[in-house]
Amino acid sequence: MKRLLLVSVSAALFLAGCGSSSDDDSADAKGGEAWSYTSGDGKTYDADSTPTRIIAHGPAAAALISFGIKPIAIYSDGPVDQDKSLKDLDLSGIEILSETYGQIDAEKAAGLKPDLIVASYWPLEKAYSGFEAGVEDSAQKVKGLADVVGPAEGDSVVTKIEGYEELAQSLGADTTGEKIAADKATFQTAVERFRTTVASKEGLTSLAVSPAEDLLYVAVPSEASELSDFTQWGLDIMTPDSPDPDFAYWENLSWENADKYQPDFVLMDDRDAANSLEVAQGQPTWQNIKAVGAGAVVPWPAYWMNTYRDYTDQLDQLSTAIEKIDPNLT
Amino acid sequence: MSITARTEAPVEQRPRHRSRATLATGFVILIGVLAVVCFFSITMGARGVGLSTIWKAFTDYDPSNASETVIRELRVPRTLIGIFAGAALGLSGAILQGVTRNPLADPGIMGINAGAATSIVFAIMVLGTQSTSTYVWFAFLGAGVATVTVYGIASFGREGATPVKLALAGAAVTAILSSITSAIVMTNVSALNELRFWQVGSLAGRYFPVFWQTLPFLVIGIVLALGTGRALNGLALGEDLALALGQRVRLTRVVMFVTVAILCGAATSACGPIVFVGLVVPHLARMICGPDYRWILSYSLLLTPVVVLVADIIGRVIISPGELQVGVVLGVIGAPAFILLVRYRNLAEL
Repeated sequence: MKRLLLVSVSAALFLAGCGSSSDDDSADAKGGEAWSYTSGDGKTYDADSTPTRIIAHGPAAAALISFGIKPIAIYSDGPVDQDKSLKDLDLSGIEILSETYGQIDAEKAAGLKPDLIVASYWPLEKAYSGFEAGVEDSAQKVKGLADVVGPAEGDSVVTKIEGYEELAQSLGADTTGEKIAADKATFQTAVERFRTTVASKEGLTSLAVSPAEDLLYVAVPSEASELSDFTQWGLDIMTPDSPDPDFAYWENLSWENADKYQPDFVLMDDRDAANSLEVAQGQPTWQNIKAVGAGAVVPWPAYWMNTYRDYTDQLDQLSTAIEKIDPNLT
Repeated sequence: MSITARTEAPVEQRPRHRSRATLATGFVILIGVLAVVCFFSITMGARGVGLSTIWKAFTDYDPSNASETVIRELRVPRTLIGIFAGAALGLSGAILQGVTRNPLADPGIMGINAGAATSIVFAIMVLGTQSTSTYVWFAFLGAGVATVTVYGIASFGREGATPVKLALAGAAVTAILSSITSAIVMTNVSALNELRFWQVGSLAGRYFPVFWQTLPFLVIGIVLALGTGRALNGLALGEDLALALGQRVRLTRVVMFVTVAILCGAATSACGPIVFVGLVVPHLARMICGPDYRWILSYSLLLTPVVVLVADIIGRVIISPGELQVGVVLGVIGAPAFILLVRYRNLAEL
């Protein structure tokens, strides 16, 4: 839910997290060899033995699990059953430390004696997921329990997944199995299909948005990993000309100016899809975006994809949707 | 010689308050001020729209033209909601102050905002309500139930709902409702996001559907409110005197609280909780008109929309291209205004 929940965080701050204790199973890290990993913040982290007690942010956990590393606990930005990245994953035996962005149960986390915390790194904010400025103090304390590592966001979901693969390998996973190889192969096919589809639509333009009651947020493609990939693969995503200087993931458009950009189709943040659509449809000026009038609104898998499987599914859905788009609408 | 002598009335015999003609003139001037403020409310905003386009939006509306849509579908309903909700808040504040004889009375002490917020959160969490148009009804319902509850609690005992008991019951019910809201919100993030709107009032993002839904209640409430002037004048003399004058005090109070519940419930559901304006403007009106509630109500009817719309316009331009909610602006300018009122004038002997 990152990037948009900012506003609600301040409201969340007064809600003190209720303390709770957990059983103290003090199994020490048993990994034998010295461990080292170069993380998204550019630093190299090392330890005398390989970390085994891992706490991970929801989407990071999805990536680790896809490569065979199971964390002992996760913290999610919202209800776990609504976290798209965690869909269909076996979370049995994994502790849930948070289902609210900005909060992490620090007491429970400390009781788990983690030796590594895994989350994506956000270069714009110089912070890992869950530890951005504005989260509760208790969440910030969790950061001190162990090193926080993970690949960087922004440039590409592909390199991000590769970063997680490298991390999983360093943690002892064997990522050379048939299943992973097959996932990579189908993913490559999906990428080729996407490239071909986009190439067949001469002059096609798009705009990635996230509607809210007070503003229409327009995404800066270079700050969203998947949008960077789509651009790389030939899709023309419009770049807003005046991003929020304090939060450069978005340009904040007043609904009065909703028609400022006119793409052939709209990519709409899918993290809370039903609600976003309803919010948008309640805005009279939403219809002044020509693509909306033409029914060219396509879900944008925003910020959450971390596995080849999820990415393959989403790319295929996008390709199917783009095939129906009129590239000469605007 | 007698003629000049008669016109030179001694100073102490001059009426303490402005004459009816002066007040009537002032009322007409206020209508003009409101019209000017409406003009600015429609012409100013995040999008620059020329006067000719605005004219065309009213005379020859083309829905596919974004600028015209902004005028017709965004700024007009926003202005209308500001006028009606503002009037409702001002009138309910004036009535509450009169009926509780409490100079600090405002919709807050009756637990009305808390009632609306709790009701909405309940609707989202327990009933799974998703659409904004349904929230409106829950906000209204919650406001009404809270008012009835507070009045009911305060009515226990021989002497009925006295001002002090009302204030205490209002505070207690507000505390209970707020803790229920917090308890629900703490367990659910989506309710928290929805609740944001119900914590600080705003005219932004409220369009015709909301306006049409709340309009009947606002109109009924405003008509009822304007009829309470004489009864409020009676109550201002004190309960015993009002009884002696033949007023049915208990019935009068019930009618007034129902009116207030309708006004506040409708206003809160239209634009969220807007504070201070219901507290400050009636005092302002009283400074201008004197103690006659018929005039206080009439002036509040026009003054409050002016204040709300001016605050809304300030909110639109002050942090452009962003916007500050009208509730925030009114909090910022309302608090010092209220302190000035308290400081430079003994709060009306209610």
